[in-house]
Order: sequence, then C-alpha cells, then structure tokens
Amino acid sequence: MLNGIPLYWFLLISAALFCIGLYGALARKNAIAILMGVELMLNAVNINLLAFWRYIAPNSAGGLAFAAFIFVIAAAEAAIGLALMISVYRNTQSVDPDKLDSLKL
Amino acid sequence: MTISQILFIVMSLVVLGGGVMVVTARNLFHAALFLILSFFGVVGLYLLLDAGFFAAAQFLVYIGAISILIIFAVMLTRGVQLAQPANSQWPAALVISVIVFVIMAIMLGPIAITIGQRQFGDVSWPNVTAGQPAPAVADDSLVRLGQSFVDFNQYGAAFLLTAVLILVAMVGAIWVARDRTLKDVMEERAELAAEEAQEAMLAGLVQQPLPLGEAQSAESPAVPAAHH
Repeated sequence: MLNGIPLYWFLLISAALFCIGLYGALARKNAIAILMGVELMLNAVNINLLAFWRYIAPNSAGGLAFAAFIFVIAAAEAAIGLALMISVYRNTQSVDPDKLDSLKL
Repeated sequence: MTISQILFIVMSLVVLGGGVMVVTARNLFHAALFLILSFFGVVGLYLLLDAGFFAAAQFLVYIGAISILIIFAVMLTRGVQLAQPANSQWPAALVISVIVFVIMAIMLGPIAITIGQRQFGDVSWPNVTAGQPAPAVADDSLVRLGQSFVDFNQYGAAFLLTAVLILVAMVGAIWVARDRTLKDVMEERAELAAEEAQEAMLAGLVQQPLPLGEAQSAESPAVPAAHH
C-alpha cells in the first residue's frame, strides 16, 4: 500500500495536523472547541506512531501498543473534559475559558 | 504518480482541510462535523499504513464515540456556540503554531539544512532507505500485539494501568457531570459553614474556662461530640 510514499510525507502531514490542533487549543474562545483541538493533536501523534511502526519496526508490537494506549488516553480525556464542560456550563451558563477565573487572586 | 500517492494526497487534504475548518468555523456544530471529516481522513491514512485494526478502532472510538460525545456537549451548551470563534490572543497563537510547524518541518523534512555546525533535516532513520519500499508487515502482527498486552515482560502492566485509567475516568466523569446546581453547592457550603461555626463555638466553650491541664483531659470527650 505504500508504493512511492516516503516516511517524511506522513511526518509532515502529522506535524501540520498537530500545529492546526495547537492553534485551535490556543486560540478558540470555547472550551469544547479547545477539546476538539486537543483531539486533533492526539490524532497527529497517532499517525506519527503508526508511520514509524510501519516504516521502521513493522515486526514489533511496540508501535501498535503505544498507538492503542493513545486511543485509551484520548477516550478518557474526552469523557472527563466534556463532563467538566457540562458541569461548568450548568454552574456559570458559559463555557468561555476566559471567564473561568474564580481561582485567581 | 502511483495510486497510493494519489490516495495519500486526497486523504491528507481531507485531514488538513477538516482540521483547518475545525479551528476556524464560527458555528461550533459545524466544527464538530468537520472534526468527523478529519477523523475519516485519518482512517484512510491508517489504511495506507497497513494498520487495518487501528483504522477500525479509529472508526469506532473516534467517529462512533468521541464525536458523538462532542456533539452532545455542543448541544447541551447551546446558546454559546455562535459566539466569536477566536479569543484576543489568536494572532500570537497563529504565530506560535506556524513557528512550531516550521521547526518540525525543518527537522523532519527531506532537505538537509546546516545551521552552524549541525545538520537538520534529511534524517537517516534506521531500516529506511530512500526509494526502497518499506518492509512487509508480518501476518501475525495483531497476534503479537495481543500477546504483548498480556505478557508482563512487555506491556502487561501498562495494559492493566490503562484499564484502571478508564475506570477512574468513567467514575470521575459521572461524578463531575452529575446533576448538581449552584444552589445545591451554596446549600452544602452553608451547611458546612454552620457545622464549622458550631465546632468553633464548642471548642471555645471547652478551652476558655478551664486551665491548661484540665483542658487537655477534657478535650478527648469533646472531640467526638464536635463532629455531630
């Protein structure tokens, strides 16, 4: 399936996806959109892991195992993050992270 | 240009286009839909990488579960989704993201660049020779993955820990998102404050009139009473 695709194509695509997610996590004004940015970043990490597994060590289970762990972490993170956002919205009627500063002095 | 290359470019455009729309769409619901589109592109990239199991897992976990969770969260926080999409620091965020991408592209890209004494780019990865196809995947790679999860000399312990993580995340999500309004919180706080005031009053009553030696002996019966 990899006829003529060098490894760096995958690396550059996942770097670009990571930076798009980074911009989303830094610049969005809505906490749920920030979580979407984090999901994009986790996907970029997974593309990288599987690309390195495929090109460098296709006979070891290490790359696949780490990709599976990232899946688990992403699912847990999404569940906790969205539960937090729903709880915050219930209490403040807003999911703007700029307004969540009640811990500030 | 081979079919694989064309497929790769199409999938990459889907992934990156969807990603850009996720971070720029004004309507949060549209952003969630573009996120699903981007996940579909990632499924295609996994298939190109001969990782069929992970393509299926991506399909089930991300497209099936996480995007539904996100859409639920968007619907439950309605009324705020049409607000201004970017905060006031978005130019700085854009500059940082572009700088990070340029650095990563220089490090990982195919062009060798010499800065000072060091050479960046055109990394020679082990087992990768330019122009040569990648080695074939072993037929039993999934079997090995499963065995590595139950073998304590490989990833058995980590696998158990991820099970604990999932359990904690599940219980935590239920606890955090339970139906508990600000009014309940204020009532709880008022109750706590009343209890504390009562305790302080009791402690004051015990400690003030008695001399030091008697106060210490009198403290032990007073402590369990203060808890009620």
